[in-house]
Amino acid sequence: MTTESNSKQRTAIFDAIRSSGLTVECDEEDIRREAAELVTGVADARPPLLADDIVEAFRMRFDNGLVVGTTCVEITEFRDLPGAVSQYLERHGLPALVKIQPLDNLTGLDWAGFSTDADVELDDSVAVLMAEFGIAETGSVVVCSSASMPVLLNFLPLHAIVVVERSRILPFLDDYAAIAGEMAGDSTTPRNVSLITGASGTTDIEGVLVKGAHGPKFLHVVVVGR
Amino acid sequence: MQTNPERFKENVAEALANPGLKVAIRRTTDRAESKRAAAIQNFPNFEQAREQGTRIKDHVIRHLDHYLARFERNAVASGAVVHWAVDAAQARDIVLDICRRRKGRRVTRAKSMLGEEIGLAQALDDAGFERVETDLAEHIIQLAGDPPSHIVWPSMHRTREDVVRLFREHHRNPTDSVDIADLVDSARRELRGKFLSADIGITGANFLLADSGSVCTVTNEGNAELTTTPTDVHIVTAGIEKLVPSMAHAMPLLRLLVRSATGGEITQYTTFYTGPKRRGDADGPGEFHIVLVDNGRTRMLSQGMAEMLRCIRCGACMNHCVVYKHIGGHAYGGVYPGPMGSVLTPNLDGLQRARKLAHACTLNGRCQEVCPVQIPLPKLLRALRASSWEKKYEPPVNRQAVRGFVQLARRPRLFQWFSSLGVLGMRLFSRGGWISSMPFASGWTACRDLPAPGKATFMSLYSQQRKSGNGIDQP
Amino acid sequence: MAIDRVNQGVLRVGLFVTCLANTMRPSVGFASIKLLEQAGCVVEVPELQSCCGQPAFNSGDDEGTREIARGIISTFEDFDYVVVPSGSCGGMIKAHFPDLFLDQPGWLDRARKLSDRTYELLSFLVDICGWQPKGVALDATCTYHDSCSGLRELGVYDQPRKLLSAVEGLTLVPMDRSTECCGFGGTFCVKYPDISNAIVGEKVEHVLATNAQLLLGGDMGCLMNMAGKLNRENPGRVTAMHTAEVLAGMAGDFLEGRVLNADKP
Repeated sequence: MTTESNSKQRTAIFDAIRSSGLTVECDEEDIRREAAELVTGVADARPPLLADDIVEAFRMRFDNGLVVGTTCVEITEFRDLPGAVSQYLERHGLPALVKIQPLDNLTGLDWAGFSTDADVELDDSVAVLMAEFGIAETGSVVVCSSASMPVLLNFLPLHAIVVVERSRILPFLDDYAAIAGEMAGDSTTPRNVSLITGASGTTDIEGVLVKGAHGPKFLHVVVVGR
Repeated sequence: MQTNPERFKENVAEALANPGLKVAIRRTTDRAESKRAAAIQNFPNFEQAREQGTRIKDHVIRHLDHYLARFERNAVASGAVVHWAVDAAQARDIVLDICRRRKGRRVTRAKSMLGEEIGLAQALDDAGFERVETDLAEHIIQLAGDPPSHIVWPSMHRTREDVVRLFREHHRNPTDSVDIADLVDSARRELRGKFLSADIGITGANFLLADSGSVCTVTNEGNAELTTTPTDVHIVTAGIEKLVPSMAHAMPLLRLLVRSATGGEITQYTTFYTGPKRRGDADGPGEFHIVLVDNGRTRMLSQGMAEMLRCIRCGACMNHCVVYKHIGGHAYGGVYPGPMGSVLTPNLDGLQRARKLAHACTLNGRCQEVCPVQIPLPKLLRALRASSWEKKYEPPVNRQAVRGFVQLARRPRLFQWFSSLGVLGMRLFSRGGWISSMPFASGWTACRDLPAPGKATFMSLYSQQRKSGNGIDQP
Repeated sequence: MAIDRVNQGVLRVGLFVTCLANTMRPSVGFASIKLLEQAGCVVEVPELQSCCGQPAFNSGDDEGTREIARGIISTFEDFDYVVVPSGSCGGMIKAHFPDLFLDQPGWLDRARKLSDRTYELLSFLVDICGWQPKGVALDATCTYHDSCSGLRELGVYDQPRKLLSAVEGLTLVPMDRSTECCGFGGTFCVKYPDISNAIVGEKVEHVLATNAQLLLGGDMGCLMNMAGKLNRENPGRVTAMHTAEVLAGMAGDFLEGRVLNADKP
């Protein structure tokens, strides 16, 4: 949607670009091909993974302290998740009060002994969330907005416990980008896709790293699967 | 933001006279230098990545109209409203119009240099909106009333003591502590409620993805997502050069950006927004506006400055610039400081006003060496000097001196004669082999000596030797 | 890429002395000739030379620079090689002359041909001649400043170090940030003397921190800038010299006061 006055501005900008003498008249197909060539076969323009095994490479990001404020554990089954959450809460001296993302995979687990409707607007909550993917290159988790994923659930809590399936840990950022490219083609891109790599942090005051400005201070990644 | 690049000399004098500033600058630039170096050590293919990034940017610049049209099409298809602004004034008007139509009062902002460039902060203040800067550094400079002094760490010129004072004065529930972690917590408390009660959230964009019409922001704080999710309206202001074909093209640039800026491998939060809240979404803004801003970028295309549009705003150039490291960011008097600022400010604010910035460079080339997309900054700065010369913006005294020099240099015999005269003249001022003061040389001799020349020029000694038939040896 | 002498014959080298060496430090010119001859070259010094044109180029006077460049191209284009005891002047000819003539195909061609044959002195001695000094001794410690143009436009870094490593008794103590600009920048140091002073002030701190007796480099502008600052603030602690002078065995003369140029008592 462009208003009339905006059309004039739009035209002025496009005219200026085309008369600059720098842009090249090109078939759209040729442009797409050139663009595709720029990102194929560029394995040698990437950083190395920390291990050959993708899940191990992913874990090592956390174990080696390369991801701010983040710890990581592995569990074999979803039903072990409440136990893992329990252990996390105990380690941090927190009560058994969490906010669980409204996703059947999570809410359907056995949360006996927990209060599961923490108020995330208060600044002390623990949220349990499901990521769509993990990325081994960086130790990132990918969370996507949907009916069952309020984006703010990733940003308001003090502690974020994010679950990711072993089989959905991708090697490189480009591997997620390929998936995103397909979604773009199908027009199925979610409204908000966040690659989250660590807890929130800042070095704005005298270069000293402080966590929790303004998102979660703690991130705990739980890798589930065999 | 009020800019004053024509006050460069005065700004520099103030900066050099401020020893506290140098401490603050070095704390930022030294750390950034060493972190970047460490990150590159761990990335053996960094040079290939740089090559790839450069080619991606050049490809987009060559097909900028195609990608802008494609981006618009896909953004609109996702439900976004796309606006076009030729200059800063139009961009401001568009944003204010959206804010007024929504009858919003509280506006949260994530850090955006483009927002700074178009003067959005002042415009929002003047129009009576409550502007809440959410990036911690932007929050600090908002409280202090400062312009940014670095594009990645805009409050680097402020010490912890400054922040203690500002927070005590302005926060509702400030901390008594001077501990930096407690200061950050104070800001967290102060801003949390504001995020959740804001009417409009405004961000910039690090990347615009043409294939999906998506906008990407990168932060370490998470303030962008807190700015863009709770409000009814999300407005993005972005320069037209932020386009990339797809996320697959954004990722290589992201790898370059974060390592070059902070030495990290990726920012804590890398988020892609596509359109407004969908039916079924649990949260999100009902309206999503994208304001695409030209403000001199198309002019740069037609004036031999196209390479400058590769810039991904990492700040590596200023972190490695000997001039920036001594004078800091405010001295440049523009929105953007350092080497990239010295190219952009003359293009944005006018060459006549900002010509001194193009000259305040030793052309040493370190900036180009560390630029992740290989922008030939020294070449562009010198080209600005040539443009200034051609347009006769250079002061008459400089023009005459250079023209005089050229007339001599293209007449070697005359040049040699003058050189010999110069040697004789200089020797008059020599004491013990050094000249510590001499007419017309006070710029040099004010703070350093000049090694005195010898008995004669090389050419006259050499030709004497040849005439007298001696072997070529020291006289 | 050392040249194949058998096929190339003796190299005819045109020496571009540079206006700074010509006016302020003739010994650099003489040292250059000596080293090139030791390396097996026949050296000529065309009389009709003045300045590479950087002062005009860096001031934005492209047309004026072209006027100067044409003269240099005409004077030097018939040599096998053109050698320059300065990275910045060498870089001007090699890296920038062609860009001045993009609209003039005839001159562009000549400028490119000249550019192909133009080298900074120290890198020429190593990369083209494959030469190392023999029998040069200097019992001293030195530190090295890498001038920006030589380093970044011409790739001069290893070569001076390689040459100096063959000087018996000479120890090189690296300084912090040796590749950082010294603040000379040609026209910069006269346009922005205060910034230049601040930069060189830091540079000489790095020099002094090495406790070396000698400060060496390959560019007169940088050397004069650093030497001048050192003499003003810390006289007598460090002697600055051009690398060519050391390699040509002239260091002793300077250190013992038998200088070639100065009114030493």
